[in-house]
Order: sequence, then C-alpha cells, then structure tokens
Amino acid sequence: MQQQEIHDFLRTYFKANDCEILDDTPSHLTVQLTIDMDKELMNRPFYWHYLEKTGGIPNPAAITFITDPERAPAELKGERIHFGSPRLHQIIQSTKKLAGYTRLFEYTPPVKGGNHPLFPWLTLNVKISYQCDRKKDIFMSIGLNLISGEIIEGFHKRVLPVKVTPKIPDYSFTLSPLIMPKSGLTRLDTYIRTSFEDDDHSWAEEAMRRWQDDLKLLEHFYKDIDEKSESYFTEKEALKAQYEPNIRISIINGGLFYLSDRALG
Amino acid sequence: MKINISSNSEWNEEFLQKIESDGPWGNWELYKLAVQMEENLIIPDFEGLQAPKHLPHLTPLPHQLEAAKQVVEKMNGKAILADEVGLGKTIEAGLILKEYMIRGLVKKVLILVPASLVSQWAFELNTKFHIPAVAQRKSYVWESCDVVISSIDTAKRAPHRDIIFNQEYDFIIIDEAHKLKNNKTKNYEFVQNLKKKFCLLLTATPIQNKVEEIFHLVSLLKPGHLGNASLFSEKYKGKGKNIIDDEHLKELVNTVMIRNRRADTGIEWTKRHVETITIEFSPTEQALYDAVSQFKPISDGTKGSAFSALTLQREACSSREAVFYTLKNMKAKYDDPSPDYTAKLDDLFTKVNETVQNSKAEKALELIKKIDDKVIIFTEYRATQLYLQWYLQQNGISSVPFRGGFKRGKKDWMRELFQKNIQVLIATEAGGEGINLQFCHHLINFDLPWNPMRLEQRIGRIHRLGQEEDVMIYNFATKNTVEEHILKLLYEKINLFEKVIGELDDILTKLDISNIEEYLIDVVGESKTEGEMKIKMDNFSSLIQFAQDMKEGEVHAATGNS
Repeated sequence: MQQQEIHDFLRTYFKANDCEILDDTPSHLTVQLTIDMDKELMNRPFYWHYLEKTGGIPNPAAITFITDPERAPAELKGERIHFGSPRLHQIIQSTKKLAGYTRLFEYTPPVKGGNHPLFPWLTLNVKISYQCDRKKDIFMSIGLNLISGEIIEGFHKRVLPVKVTPKIPDYSFTLSPLIMPKSGLTRLDTYIRTSFEDDDHSWAEEAMRRWQDDLKLLEHFYKDIDEKSESYFTEKEALKAQYEPNIRISIINGGLFYLSDRALG
Repeated sequence: MKINISSNSEWNEEFLQKIESDGPWGNWELYKLAVQMEENLIIPDFEGLQAPKHLPHLTPLPHQLEAAKQVVEKMNGKAILADEVGLGKTIEAGLILKEYMIRGLVKKVLILVPASLVSQWAFELNTKFHIPAVAQRKSYVWESCDVVISSIDTAKRAPHRDIIFNQEYDFIIIDEAHKLKNNKTKNYEFVQNLKKKFCLLLTATPIQNKVEEIFHLVSLLKPGHLGNASLFSEKYKGKGKNIIDDEHLKELVNTVMIRNRRADTGIEWTKRHVETITIEFSPTEQALYDAVSQFKPISDGTKGSAFSALTLQREACSSREAVFYTLKNMKAKYDDPSPDYTAKLDDLFTKVNETVQNSKAEKALELIKKIDDKVIIFTEYRATQLYLQWYLQQNGISSVPFRGGFKRGKKDWMRELFQKNIQVLIATEAGGEGINLQFCHHLINFDLPWNPMRLEQRIGRIHRLGQEEDVMIYNFATKNTVEEHILKLLYEKINLFEKVIGELDDILTKLDISNIEEYLIDVVGESKTEGEMKIKMDNFSSLIQFAQDMKEGEVHAATGNS
C-alpha cells in the first residue's frame, strides 16, 4: 500500500466522520477530532469521564499524520504513519466497526410522472482464510437478489459506480423481498461454502502430511518410556494447533442495497 | 479430504437486529473504505514474507530475510537460529514473529531471555517491529498482555509457572538457548513442558562442548527429530565418530537450524586487532604464584587437588584478592581442619598479605590512559572486579561494574552510565552475555577463559552489527605461568583469533573432545614436568591443526567435484 493511498484513506475516514481537516499537504494531514472521534481513537476514558463529572469544557485533540517524512517540514510534530503502524491498524479496525452494516438506496433523479421500483439485494463482503501452519486469504463479495434469488459474485465492484443515498429518494419505491433476510444469509453462506469446495486443497493434504511426520517422530521419542509424561501430551496438542488445516470465513461487512433493474449493468 | 470450516454468526445476528430496529446504518464512504482496506490486508499466498512491507523503516540484511523466509516456508515455524554472535538473530526473530502476527496465526507470545536483555527486547520489538511487547514486571501481565518478555528464572518460579502453563501460547522465543543444553536442569524441564506451537531457539553457540547438547536442544524444539535419547547416545556418544555419521547428523540438524557465518553474509565487517600484552610479576606476586603452585591441600595427588592448585594459580595471575577469596572459602570448608592444612593455608594468607602490587592492574591503567576512550575489561573473578574498580578510582578513572547477578534495572542503568558518562566497564563472565556494547571498541581480557566459546561471546559484545570502528582486543598474560601456556596453546598456536568461531565449533565436534576445558585442566594440572605439558599441548594443537586441514580438504574436494 502506497503512502499516497494511506493519505487518501485518512482524509476520507476523517471527513466521513465529520472531523475538520485543518491542514492537508502532500506530506501531512492535520485533523481536528470531534468529541466522538477523540473517544474512538485517543484512548483516554479517564479524561472524558472527568470532564463529564466536572462539567469542564471538552477539548478534543487535533492530530497531525505525517505520510511523507521526506517532504514534511523538519520542525513539524506529528505521528509518522505507514502500512504497519499501529495507528493505521487502529483506524482500519475503527472503520470496520463503524461501517459493518449498511442500507442504501440507488439515487435516480426525479422524472415527471415516473415511479422507480428498487430491487432489494443482500450483500456480504467476506474474507476466506485457508489456515494450517501457513495461511492465505481470499476476498469474496457476493450479492443475492431477494426477489429473484439470483446470486452474483464481485458485487461490491459492480455497486461502486452506482450513486447511492441513505434515504429513499422521492419517486422511488422498494419492492418487498420474497426471500427474508435471514434465509438470504443462509443461502449466501451455502454459496460461499460451495465456492471453495472445488478449489485446490493440496495445502491441507500437505499440512496433514507434515503433521503425521512430526507425530511419528514424537512417538519415537517417547517410545522407550512406558508412562507417557505430561510433556508428551502437550507436544501432541501443540502439533495439532500448529498443523491442523481449517478454513475460516469472516465477514468484513455487508448490508441491503435497493437498486433499480439497470443499476448493475 | 474433509476440512473443518468455521464462521461466526455474530454478524448475522446483529444484522437482523438492525433490520428490526431500522438502523443505525453505516456510512457509504466508510463502508467502501473498510472493504478497500481489508482488500489491502488480504494475504494472497502461503509463501513469501509480508513483514517487510509493514516495516518500511527497517532494512533487514539479505541473510536475515532469507532466514525468516526459510523458517516460515521450510521449517514450519520451529527453528534454532544459530547465527554467529552479532549477525542480528533478534532481527530475524522479530521478522518471523511479525510475519505470523500479520498473517493472524499468532496472537499470544512468550519471550524468554536473560534478565539483562528483557528491556532491550521490549524496546526493539516495539520500536523496530511495532509489536506491543511488554516486559513482565507485575504478575497480571501474563494474562492481560499478548506479548510478554521475561527471564526464565522468573517464569519458572511460583506463582508465575502455573499462570504460564494455563496460557495458550501460539509462539515461544527463547534467547541464549544454549543454556538449555543440559536436560537435567529445572530450566530445561520448564521449557520442555511449554506448549510450543511455533518456537524459536536463539543461540550463537549451539554446541559448546558435547555433541549431546545439540540433541537436547533439538529435542526441545522437535522431539524425535534426532531420534530418542538411547538411540542417539548409542550412535554418537563415546565412539570415534566417522565423517559419514557426522554428515548425516549435520544434515538432520540443518533442517531445523539456521547458522549464518560472518564470512557468508557478505557484509563488510570492521577488523579485529589482537594484541597480546605480556606482564611480568613483581617479586612479591611471583612469590605468591610459586607458593600456590606448590600448594597441595590434600597430598594424595588426586585430580581434585590439581584442580584447586590450578584454580589458585589462575587466580594469582589475576589478583591477590581473587586468591584470598578462594583461600577463605577453603578455610571455611572444614569444621575441624587438620593442623597441617591450616598451617599451609596460613602460609598462603601471609603470602597474599605480602603482595603489594598488581602488575596487571598497573598495565591496564597505563593502557586505559593511552586509549583515552571507552574500554571494557573482562575478568573471570568477582574479587578482581571489585579490586579493579577501587584501583581505577584511586587513579582518577571512573568505572561501572557489570555482573550476571544484577537485577534487570541495574543492568540497564549500568549500560547507560557506561554509554553516557563513564570510561570503563568491568564485567565478569556471567555478565558477559546478553549485553550489547557496540558503542565501545576496546576490550581488555584481564584474564582468559579456558573455553574459547566464552571468549568469542566476550568479543561478540562489541564486535557486532552496528560496530563502526575496528575492534581492539588486548589479551593480558603473565609470563611463565599457566596463563601463558594457555594463551600460547589455545589462542596463538591454533590462531583462534583469526578463525571464525563456527570453524572451531566444527573442529571440536569432529575431534570428539567432549569438554575442552576439562581436557586442558588435565593437561596443565596433571603433567609431572614442564616438558610433559609441552608435549601434550603440542599434540593437542597438532590434532586441531589436523582436523582443520581435513576440513579444508573436504571443502576443496567438494569444490573440485562440482
């Protein structure tokens, strides 16, 4: 991830959270936090607790993020931020927390006498992790049409160019879903699980083989000892924890989109 | 093949809840951002290292990156990192740990290091790797923090021990792991019982004396990898090992151990200059040395008596204070000593009192003044350490002591004092490990350890990555003493200082000399005459020479074949 992307990310994040941008140059970004954002990011509950008890004047922090130290003025004080920095990861976590669920409507300009029907779509963005002593992830975005039952992949990419708004626009109306959200979620879950069934899972077979090999060595090591010691069982458990293959599905975010029949092209 | 699949249903429940109560719903901009960032954090391959991308301020050396990659891809996250001193094993360990944390395979981490290194590890992991590691100072830390650093000595004691065994650790790092070479110790047993999902053992000297040491170390990491105890000793112990056996063992060990040598790293190292400084006793010192050389506490000529005479001789080469301390212990040893024994001891005490001068200390003072820069003095004896501190102070030179027994905070403080204000640091052997002093490049060996590995560790404190100057090493040896013999044999004849330490390692393993120190005590202590000792030492050095030639021969043969 490039520094420029991080810079843009920060700007979008703080703007979306109603923080005033005090300074925005190619090398750094200074933002005035709102009270809510100060509570979200600055990790000082005692300060806020104290203020609320004493009725003092709140003074939320302003932060300067230095995204390009080479070009930043030498005397500038601020936090250097880069891909691995804990601050960035805190903000990413916060983003996920604040935008875990959404509901949006396609915006269509009002046309005289026209009423636009909007179709309900249920969508999930998920991360699928193949995990043993190694790990890799797959990103997947799917959407389910709650009327027709059609499922499409790459939903997120397709909805990106659509103009959406949080309130239902005038002259638009939503169609009632035939599939209830709850069973919609089940359909999506089934779809995700079948999606990787035919994938190449030699990684798991190899992990099982490594596991078996190490188990054999372990058995051999303790062969001459009649009464197996505790360390034997600990080691055995450790090998399971190290090698046992599993697949984990984690939801990044998702929600309901009401879209016209032309929206997804 | 059936693979276990898991997902959590919390998201679903909360989502349905939100539909029920009509919101609140997340903002579209943030929603898009969350997806964009997560897509960035996706790790698309099992192979390769993610950590460097996360650490733009760290520039690992090629051998460090290679080591990290190998541990993750080839060794399944269990390895002995055995680079020579000063090649940055901590960086390698940090990279590997970071990699597993980024991939989400590791959360809970236990790092066991010598007490003197706890703060340094915490500092490096936090600043260089952005890993929120915490030095264990309060007992709640074990449970409430994910990455904890402690000394083994603390960890193995109650109540910590039980708390630790109740934690589910994903990753365990043990620094200076050669201390676990003996499987009969409490420390070994403690580490053996830890659950080691992923584990790194760090040591610069995987074999110090005996080939069994590597067996115990590997068995901690991967029990059974070198067979079980009985099979291993049957195969390797006592037998004159032939090279095929060794090659086989080496190959096995190499699948769990990474050992980079200075010479292979391609890094430009600053040079080592070694200067031997011969010191002549003053008459009173000579008298003391002669007296302890004649000393036979129990005159049956057993090995034990040679040992104590030798100890006293070595001490007499260091300081009268060191001799005094040992004599005092010998006197206290028996409740009812024989008059003969007491008389012999009293005679020695008189000689100690009559010694009015320390020629080595005088030489050291002269040298320190001439160097006019930071200097480390190593001595084997605590009494000498105290004396030197006093003596230097009398002559207007400030110094700080350093010992293994110091509490962590004190060690950090001493190191910092030395770095900032003080010209001289005087360290004993136990304090030698686990302190990095690359801001200093003069080292005086006030007396010499008889195990060359320990000497290498001393030098490794200053001759490591980050050292920008050539390193000066001054070896003090008193003329016509055991010390001179050892220096000549060990350190000059076999050109120890020009050798890379790893080579010596190989050679000693090949020679089947199980314990070099015991061997030397035997040679020096049990020889009836100077002549006999000289012959034995010559034999020993030609043996080493022979093993070395053989090794070079192998290398040549190997290159010839390719």
